Amino acid sequence: MIPADSDGGGFGRVKRTRGVAFRYLALAASNVGILALASLIAFVVWDAFGLWSAGIGWYSIFGVTVVVPLAAFVVYASKHPPVATAGLELLSATLGGLMGAVMLVVMVLVVAGSGVWFAYVVTVAAPIALLQLIGATDPTVKRWTSVLSLVTIVLGPIAGTLLLGPLSTVAALLGAPGVFFCTIVVPAAGVLWYTLERRYEYGRRVSIAAAVALPVIAIVAVPIVDRIAIVSRSAWLVLLVSIGIPVAVATANTARDPDRRGGFALPVIVVGGLLVGRLLVDLLDGVVPIIDVSRPQPWFDWQFLTSAPSTSIAEVAGMYPQIVGSIFLIVVVAVLTFGLGVGAAIYLEEYAPSGGWAGRIVRFIRINISNLAGVPSVVYGLLGLGIFVQMRVSAVTIGPLTIGPYTGFGVGTVISAAFTLSLLILPIVIISAQEAIQSVPDSMREASYGMGATRWQTIRNVVIPESMGGILTGTILALGRAIGETAPLLLIGAAAVSFSPPTELFGTLTAMPLLVYRTAFFPADAFRHGVTAAGVVTLLLILLTINSIAIVLRDRFETEA
Amino acid sequence: MTEGPDRVDLTGERTLTRSLESVYHAVFFLCAALSVVTTIAIVLTLVINSITFFGGYSIVDFLFGTRWISSRALFGILPLVVSTLLITLGSAVIALPLGVLTAIYLSEYASARTRSVLKPLLEILAGVPTVVYGYFALVYVTPALNVVIDGLNAALSTIDGALSVVGLGLGFRFAELTMFNLVSASIVVAILVLPMVSSISEDAMGAVPDSLREAGYGLGATKFEVSTTIVVPAAMSGITSSFILALSRAIGETMAVTLAAGMKPLSLPATKSLFGIPYVSPGQILALYSESGATMTATIVDIVTSDLGGGSIAFDAMFAIGLVLFVLTLGMNVISDWISARYREVYE
Repeated sequence: MIPADSDGGGFGRVKRTRGVAFRYLALAASNVGILALASLIAFVVWDAFGLWSAGIGWYSIFGVTVVVPLAAFVVYASKHPPVATAGLELLSATLGGLMGAVMLVVMVLVVAGSGVWFAYVVTVAAPIALLQLIGATDPTVKRWTSVLSLVTIVLGPIAGTLLLGPLSTVAALLGAPGVFFCTIVVPAAGVLWYTLERRYEYGRRVSIAAAVALPVIAIVAVPIVDRIAIVSRSAWLVLLVSIGIPVAVATANTARDPDRRGGFALPVIVVGGLLVGRLLVDLLDGVVPIIDVSRPQPWFDWQFLTSAPSTSIAEVAGMYPQIVGSIFLIVVVAVLTFGLGVGAAIYLEEYAPSGGWAGRIVRFIRINISNLAGVPSVVYGLLGLGIFVQMRVSAVTIGPLTIGPYTGFGVGTVISAAFTLSLLILPIVIISAQEAIQSVPDSMREASYGMGATRWQTIRNVVIPESMGGILTGTILALGRAIGETAPLLLIGAAAVSFSPPTELFGTLTAMPLLVYRTAFFPADAFRHGVTAAGVVTLLLILLTINSIAIVLRDRFETEA
Repeated sequence: MTEGPDRVDLTGERTLTRSLESVYHAVFFLCAALSVVTTIAIVLTLVINSITFFGGYSIVDFLFGTRWISSRALFGILPLVVSTLLITLGSAVIALPLGVLTAIYLSEYASARTRSVLKPLLEILAGVPTVVYGYFALVYVTPALNVVIDGLNAALSTIDGALSVVGLGLGFRFAELTMFNLVSASIVVAILVLPMVSSISEDAMGAVPDSLREAGYGLGATKFEVSTTIVVPAAMSGITSSFILALSRAIGETMAVTLAAGMKPLSLPATKSLFGIPYVSPGQILALYSESGATMTATIVDIVTSDLGGGSIAFDAMFAIGLVLFVLTLGMNVISDWISARYREVYE
């Protein structure tokens, strides 16, 4: 350790040079990977948005109207934290709302349809909400309402499936917009009232006014919405709820705190800058021949997002069925993994015995979970292929009961894929939920036990609420991983190029990464640098949104804790 | 719960509470036990289908055969294993030094602010879907590398031209990369395993107590010396286990290598012989990097996306490859756990 101090005077300087050189070497090394990925993403964005085809004038105009003000805002916000917080909150409310809107539109309008949606809301969601409401107002019956809620979770879907026919008829009588008004707008108004009054402390009158305003706006705006071709009345109601509410709440939160009002500059800069820039481009087009204001020819555009894929003509190719398929898949995976993952984590952290043979089993389960997290995804694909697609078990008769036959869930169906991906991400969900639960201090549990609470009451009222931020963040990040998985989907036989989106659990799945995989091999430049690049950008944008939602959630729960 | 005298009410409530408690206990245990069921299902699926395969194909030919041609029912896994190992090795050469240097920087040099920026950015590297990395390799990395290679070859020609005056010459050129090649695969795999090395190594370095560092400083050591001769050796078990996990991840990586290295198995170079001992020259091995080489994972994708139906022997061969992959990666994970537990320096 102690250097042989033999070379006298020059020694100190040599040592210092070496240290500084090493420091910068390490700094450079930490940035190599990041810079490599950043340049690759820059390339793909360049291709997908067709930025090479834009003129210098176009760049200058948008540079002045958007980039410069945005940079100024970032500099200003870095010195005024409340402004930065407000700006980020507005941005994440918009992005999160947009993401939620896309998911809702896909699940409710495209996949389920108003009839199916109505049936399950009436048999599952509405009874549970009602029971929770009764439990909240009258604590003496709370135990029974929670038991009944559990029963509803199990029996509700069965009842919904059995009553699908008559309930769809009722839904048809109401009409699709009517169904969405009753099942989305009205409950949302109730939630809005509760959130504003209890969480944001706005006062009863304001909260009620906001809650009443929501359905009124929904109805009053219908004549305007009818003029916009791409937005149906149903879509309008969904968009209003999932984008309108978060944006309005974020706006109100920003407006009532004078320190944070500067945050409004961000949306003004973005929206205003884009509008002004576009206006300038239109004005200057062809007026001054020296300034080249030609616009970029993007591959990634509205047409791409709303068209079916094409394997021959790049100009009409899109990704719509794949986007729907991915969202459908991820929603099913989320439903399957959240309960199972959190349940397993709760067992391992709260119930698991540490001694005796039971302790040994628990230790084995722990090691097993960490090893499962390291199994390659392609092996999970083989598992899914073997268990959910190929396996055949003939019917077994035990006395009066006949079970089976089991013939798998079908080649490439949404449900096979969802089961496979759920098994794949479960270990990740469990491990992150365990970490979140571990971070709840024991003193809080002891306080709960001291008040006479049982273990489950402690878990439900103390452990889960305290660790919810971490659990949600971990689950969302794991879902982000699932949305990019390709190999398991290929193995269970999902279709890469499908021209219609899956609309039922047993329909053939298609997903974004599958199309990216398939078109990446096409030799034509319009596919290699065009359609596939646009697909990659779509995938990355969705992932970016998912990850930022996870980060915002984590920050929010951390600051509240 | 029915209305009644208080005592009855109380008892009923307790019974309900107690039975509910045991119901929850059982439900949560089942959730946790599902992971064991998953493992058993993986093993059974792989083993049963592999047994079917080995019923129709010799296990010796599978493990030691030098050619994999599904359509001609030749299932020698060696070329697939060689490509997998070459890519793993190539990515390790890039990612391991970078990962350790990153970990040293984050744990020893970086300010809290720098760390809070760098760490999430590094996490992004692992969050990008692997199919996107494959696309990057195919469409951007390989053409860029070819430009670099052309430049190097031009420089070599110039040097040769100069040397030819004195009658010498290097006579050496780099091979142009084919559309699918192992170099680009190694590079993208390196990028995606990098955060695994850096974050696990950094955790290990963070666990080294400050008292050791202070003792080093007290003896007159510089920060560089403390980092390289105290912190890194003390965190060696964690660093080693991060290496093994990264290698295991690289072996199991599928979409990136399928798109980057292609689905055509490489042809193993002919062995030379020295005193009866067969060997392959390093030059021959390096030459393999410029060509397409299907890994084990890529071959699984190749079989499942080809027209070979379920029930064919190639379909069963897929599970045999899967079994080899599973045993390899599981073994490496277990070894990594064992190293970090066995050789961990425990500080008070």
